[in-house]
Amino acid sequence: MALLEVQDIHTFIGQFHILQGVSLEVPEGSITALLGRNGAGKTTTLKSILGLTPPRTGKVIFAGEEIQGRPAYEIASMGIGYVPEHRAIFTNLTVEENLRIAERRRGDLKKRADFIFTLFPDLKRLARLPAGHLSGGQQQMLAIARALVPDNRILLIDEPSEGLAPILIQELMEAIRRLSAEVTVLLVDQNFQMTSRLADRYSMIDDGRTVRSGRMADLLKEPEVIRRYLGAVI
Amino acid sequence: MKRYRATIAFVLIVGVLTALGYAAFGPQKATAALLSGLTLAALYFLLGAGLSLIFGLMDVLNFAHGILFMVGAYVGYTVFGNPRLILNTAPLFLALAVGMMAGVRLGRSIPAHRVLPYLLALLGIGVMVWGVWGFPLRPLVAFEPTTAGGAIPTALAQEPLPRMMVRLVQLALAGLLLGPAFARWRREERQTSPWRPVALGVGLAALAVLLLLGRDGLEKFLLGLSVDVRFLLALVAGAATGAALGALVETTLIRPFYGRPVTQIVLTLGLMFAGAELVKFVWGKEGRPPMAVPTAFSRSCRSPNLIAWLTEQCSSIDVLGRAFPTYRLLIIAIGLLILAGVALLLKYSRLGMIVRAGVQDSTMVEALGINVRRVFTTVFALGSALAALGGVVAAPFIGVYPEMGSTFQLQAFIAVVIGGMGSYAGTAVGALVLGLARALGDTLVTTGIALPGMAEALRASPAVARASTVLIMAVVLLVRPAGIFGKSSQ
Repeated sequence: MALLEVQDIHTFIGQFHILQGVSLEVPEGSITALLGRNGAGKTTTLKSILGLTPPRTGKVIFAGEEIQGRPAYEIASMGIGYVPEHRAIFTNLTVEENLRIAERRRGDLKKRADFIFTLFPDLKRLARLPAGHLSGGQQQMLAIARALVPDNRILLIDEPSEGLAPILIQELMEAIRRLSAEVTVLLVDQNFQMTSRLADRYSMIDDGRTVRSGRMADLLKEPEVIRRYLGAVI
Repeated sequence: MKRYRATIAFVLIVGVLTALGYAAFGPQKATAALLSGLTLAALYFLLGAGLSLIFGLMDVLNFAHGILFMVGAYVGYTVFGNPRLILNTAPLFLALAVGMMAGVRLGRSIPAHRVLPYLLALLGIGVMVWGVWGFPLRPLVAFEPTTAGGAIPTALAQEPLPRMMVRLVQLALAGLLLGPAFARWRREERQTSPWRPVALGVGLAALAVLLLLGRDGLEKFLLGLSVDVRFLLALVAGAATGAALGALVETTLIRPFYGRPVTQIVLTLGLMFAGAELVKFVWGKEGRPPMAVPTAFSRSCRSPNLIAWLTEQCSSIDVLGRAFPTYRLLIIAIGLLILAGVALLLKYSRLGMIVRAGVQDSTMVEALGINVRRVFTTVFALGSALAALGGVVAAPFIGVYPEMGSTFQLQAFIAVVIGGMGSYAGTAVGALVLGLARALGDTLVTTGIALPGMAEALRASPAVARASTVLIMAVVLLVRPAGIFGKSSQ
């Protein structure tokens, strides 16, 4: 059974009908990629799942429960971690505080510290520094680490490779692959090279609608589709 | 260098102001002005801290903040002058709260409905008005600045017991009707023992009835309290009223309009005027003379220094040959205490961490699973409590009057703008700069300034003193548009 299921959601931002029927399934334990061109509605889909831009119609089912329409903090506390685009770490807080603020129960960070610092050894060294002093790559690591602090069952990761040097992207991919052993991932990224190698499954949206979904391995056999919807050449 | 620019600017401004003061008025008057400036700064800070926190976290410019300062002062003064007020009003609030608790529970168990809760709430407000209709206000707010209870005999100050009991029932009913409207907003995610709220409700109801039944004995006790105890009572009552009022305003009036700044400004501005009129309605148009000070600051003598004051407890202290009221030193001390307390809270508590994060990005805080709306309410209540506390502390210094809210609010706003909106350290700095400027301006008015070669001292009109603060704001903003500690990127 899918851990997260989105059924035909429609989301409006102001006057604009951004999502016009997005459906997707994220099986437990998988990395699922959400594909689509710029402005297709990928970020809005993530925000709609989390309740930051609640869908007007349609269903979002997480771990068997309908969650659409609930306040975002409630949805997040059910076990959904969010790594937004542009990282959105708290630059005034120290690295350690950025992690501690994500605790939902006292001691969450202590419990997960080994796991987090094995994935991102840099963060341990930088713990006392204001997060604003970190480099772009380190900030991205911190944003992912922050989502790993509480007992999240799924991470929604938005554009993690944006603005990073190729060598850092390699490192990031490795980290995401390793953390996916413990937590399900729904991944949005423009870098198709990266997502195609990471993801088991995909869901493709175009102009606010889901157009295709399935196994990533099957998609890779259809370069025509990839070129049509993503403009990418493999 | 760049990192310390704000600090350098601050030190420069304060340094220049102090140096100007010493050059123009000599050490004696300048020191007196400095201390007066610190007193004002403490009050500006108490008011500005909440303004700045609320703006930083919620992007709300709370133009009604001065109301809380004023209401705090009035409530504190009233409790100080007439502590039996608690006996007459606390049971009513308790009854309302008990009814509300039950109403919220009830509202959660009945199916959600779009209109029904609000219709009920409207009815509830009607019942509430019915419940307090004809409540004798005058004897409660007629009090003396020094003695407890005033000249009102007990029989006049209190309604007959049966009438009060009826009011209790009416208010409990009003709370019950109001409750469902709040049920939607406060969903509890953690399950506690179902009996705990019931026990709490029954306890509060019992407390309300007990207060009424035992009021004769309690009244004697309250009116017999010493000045010091009543002063503490005033501080607590003022701050608690401020917190409650702040929470009420945030949940009912501000919350529906987050992200709509113009609506908020008009709303809070309207609240400011309405509040001022309400205060006039309850307490009258006339102000009151300064409230009595605690005994440690009341003996009419002059202590030579602070150490001597500890044993002599004089009302003033010798500063370079001039008398300075010791109570104002208490104001400064309270200001510093709150400054340090809130700074520690912000730096080391979880709430503080959430506030600091929320100032930057409250959406992300919510996405972490934190009920950021509840944090908003808490911070609004906390800021309001600080303002109200400032009002109580100010009452023995400036008395109370219906314009005090808007007057001090304007100064606090200027202080916050000078310091940098949303910056806590900036607020403290802004308050200090503004307090000093104001005090120096006042000295300029009272003593005038004698430049070398002038036969007579040049005197400034009081308007100049008042304008000086705005002038400083203009200069600071021209140099640093975001204020001394403001982020220039925003």
